[in-house]
This record gives sequence, C-alpha cells and structure tokens, in this order.
Amino acid sequence: MEFDFALIVESVPKMATGIGITLQLLVLATIIGTALAVCTVLMRISKIPLLSWPAMVYIYIFRGTPMLVQIFLIYYGLSQFQAVRDSFFWIALRDPFWCAIIAFSVNVGAYTAEILRGGIQGVDEGQLRAATALGLSKSQRFIHITTPIAIRLALPAFGNETVSLLKSTALASTITMFDITGVARTIMAQTFAPYEIFISAAIVYLFIAWFIQIGVALAERRFSRHMQR
Amino acid sequence: MYVVVGWLDEFLWGALVVLQIFMVGMTMAVIWGLLGAAAKLSKIPVFSVLASVYTTVFRAVPELLVLLIFYFGSAITLTAIAKLINPDIQFVDIPPFWAGSFAISLIIGAYAAETFRGAFQGVDPGQIKAARSLGMSATHTFFYVRLPQMWRLALPGFGNHMLSMMKDTALISVIGVEEILYTAEIATSITMQPFTMYMVVAIIYLVFTTVIMAIIQVLEKTANRHLESV
Repeated sequence: MEFDFALIVESVPKMATGIGITLQLLVLATIIGTALAVCTVLMRISKIPLLSWPAMVYIYIFRGTPMLVQIFLIYYGLSQFQAVRDSFFWIALRDPFWCAIIAFSVNVGAYTAEILRGGIQGVDEGQLRAATALGLSKSQRFIHITTPIAIRLALPAFGNETVSLLKSTALASTITMFDITGVARTIMAQTFAPYEIFISAAIVYLFIAWFIQIGVALAERRFSRHMQR
Repeated sequence: MYVVVGWLDEFLWGALVVLQIFMVGMTMAVIWGLLGAAAKLSKIPVFSVLASVYTTVFRAVPELLVLLIFYFGSAITLTAIAKLINPDIQFVDIPPFWAGSFAISLIIGAYAAETFRGAFQGVDPGQIKAARSLGMSATHTFFYVRLPQMWRLALPGFGNHMLSMMKDTALISVIGVEEILYTAEIATSITMQPFTMYMVVAIIYLVFTTVIMAIIQVLEKTANRHLESV
C-alpha cells in the first residue's frame, strides 16, 4: 500500500463542483436559520407563555435529536403521506437540496436562538437603566442598546455554530447530494483509495472553516471597535 | 402506529447498541480529552503543537468524513497487511462498531481537550500552592486537588459533549452498525412507512438526550454543593 499523491492532485479539482454545493447549503441555511433564530428568540424571551412555550419545545426537540435522523424524516419520511405528495410543497420536498436546506435551517434556528438568548442576557443592566434614564422607550432600548451589544456578545459562539453547520452539510451526502463529501464518496467508490480521497476532502473543509473563523474575527473586531484605542 | 409494535424488539436491541457506542465512545473521549489537555498545557513544544493540530483538525472536519476515513482507511491498511501474510485474503476490516466508536471518540475528545484545558487553568493557583506547602507531592496534588476541582469547572462544557456524542452515534449506521437508524431503514423497506419508523428513532434519541440532561443537572448540583448556603 502506498500513498498516491498524484491521485490527490487529480481529485481536488473534481471536488470543486462539490464545494459549490457545500457553500450553497452553508450560506442559504445560515441566512434562513438566522432569520428563524431571531423570531424564535423573540418568542423565547417573551413573558407570554403562549409565545415562549412553543419556542422552548422547538429548541428542545431539534437540539435533542440527531440531525441525520431529522434529514431522513424530512427526505424519506414525508413521502409516506399522500397529502404531502399531492400538495404544492412536494416540488421542494422531493428535492434533496431543499430537504437538506430545511433540516439545516431549523437546526441553525434552534441552536442560534439559544446563542442569541445568551447574548441578550449578557447585556449589562446598568446600560439599560442608563437608557431608561435618558428617556428611551422600551422598543428603542431593545433596538439601539440590547441588540448591538447582544450581537457582539453572541459573535464568538455564532462563529463556532457556523463551523459546526459546515460540518453538518456533509450529511447531505447521505440523501444523494453531491457536496464535497458526496463527490469524495463517489471517487472513493471508483478508486478505493480512502486515505487520499477523504484526506483531500478534509483539507478542503479545513480551508473553508479557516475562512469562516477569519470572517468572524473580522466581524468581532468591527463590533468591538469602540474598545480599541 | 401498530406496525411499530412488531419492530419493538429490534428497536430495543438497536437502542442497546446506541448505549454501548455511547459508553465506549465517552470513556475513550475522556482519555483523549485528558491527554490532549495535558499535552496542550505541557511546556514541551512538540506536545503542545501536536495537541493543537489534533484539536484544530478534529473540530473542523465533518464527523461523517472522519468516520469514513477511519473505517475504510483501517480496512485497506489491515487488508494490505493481511495480504503480506496470506495472499489469499480478500478483505479484512476492524468491526464497524469499534472503528465507529473510536472515530467519534476522537472528535468528542478534541472538544473535551479544550474544555479540560480551560478547566485546569481555571483552578485557583492558590489551591495548588497550598497543597504543595502542605507537603503533597505533585502526583497527589494532581489527583486530590487539581482533578476534582477541574471536573466542577468542566461540567457544563462536558455535558454538551455528552449530548453531541449521543447524537453522533446516529452516524455509525452509515458504516453498517445495526443500531436504531439502521433498524428503521430495514423496517421501512418492509413496511413502507418511513415517517413512522424514523419518528420512533427520533423519540428514542430524545429520551436518551433528556436523560443525559437530567444526569448533567444532578452532577452539577453535586459538584457545586459546597457553594450552597446551609
């Protein structure tokens, strides 16, 4: 058994098509998931039980079950019902890409909601009292004081969450998607050279994760620019 | 729903396999985590650099990919070695259960190493100095002063790692271990009711994660009992 470097050089360009799919999954799920998370956290911190309870149940269910099971439930499971197959949504639900997007987004929604809640709770009470003393209304306080500080506090955890979403996109390969892992598994089936193929794929993921971390570090710098002198 | 009843015993066996993977994987992950933390805090550069590479790589590469590398990689290596001894052998692999548990334990171990490192650093240096001045040896100080206090600080992070480990066990069906997700696939191919079967899997996992969350709460309460006012 020898390590075939030529095969690595040969297979990395083939994975380029997979990188496109992986990035599409990552970006779309982050956008939709973050929007979901904002709605969820607003419901979660509400004092009205009818709003906070559904948010808690949603977070509990999606954080308590493996994402792979959720993906199978959406992609394979929903086809069990004739009503779903007849409905308008079937166009999206029979497409593995959209099923993956749905599964990733609801997960990002649940996890990011908790991260944002941590950020909101971390806002210094003195700041809010000062804002009240200056005559800011409740909604003004939330928009101009709580939100920017909470975003800054939540950013590091949000960066970790995005890297963990990147890792989760590999699960799309189990429902016939040709993302980086999907392409790697196809090449692997043809060549049976697991080390070369899978390690090249791993290096591609390492690079993407590295870019995400740089992006988050830049965002953190921007949000805390008032503290640098 | 009554179709599930006929598959209950299969699901029960599958659930036992999940628990086994969890136990084996968690034990190994604690070992990797402690070794990783020790290496990260080590003053010998080779160790700390190696530990950084380990935690960086295993926290950035998808779990599924790590699993595939270990399972197929170990199989091809073992087959090559076996062929040297006996050229008639076609295929040898590590049982997927062990390859899978090992791969997942390395991932969780990388996260645990970071948690343990932070916790070790969080232990008050005064405590260590006090122990040393009482004449305790470095080994005694480690086991009776640093390790117990480190656990308390590491618990919240460690609890999350236990939950991740539980959820990562679902991936092992991909390399053919007969756990609950695998059972659901077989059951689906016969009953044609994928939603029902995968729902059973989801509920079993939700029960497991709920139990783990309860255990973490009890552990945290026990670890912090000296902080409660009497």
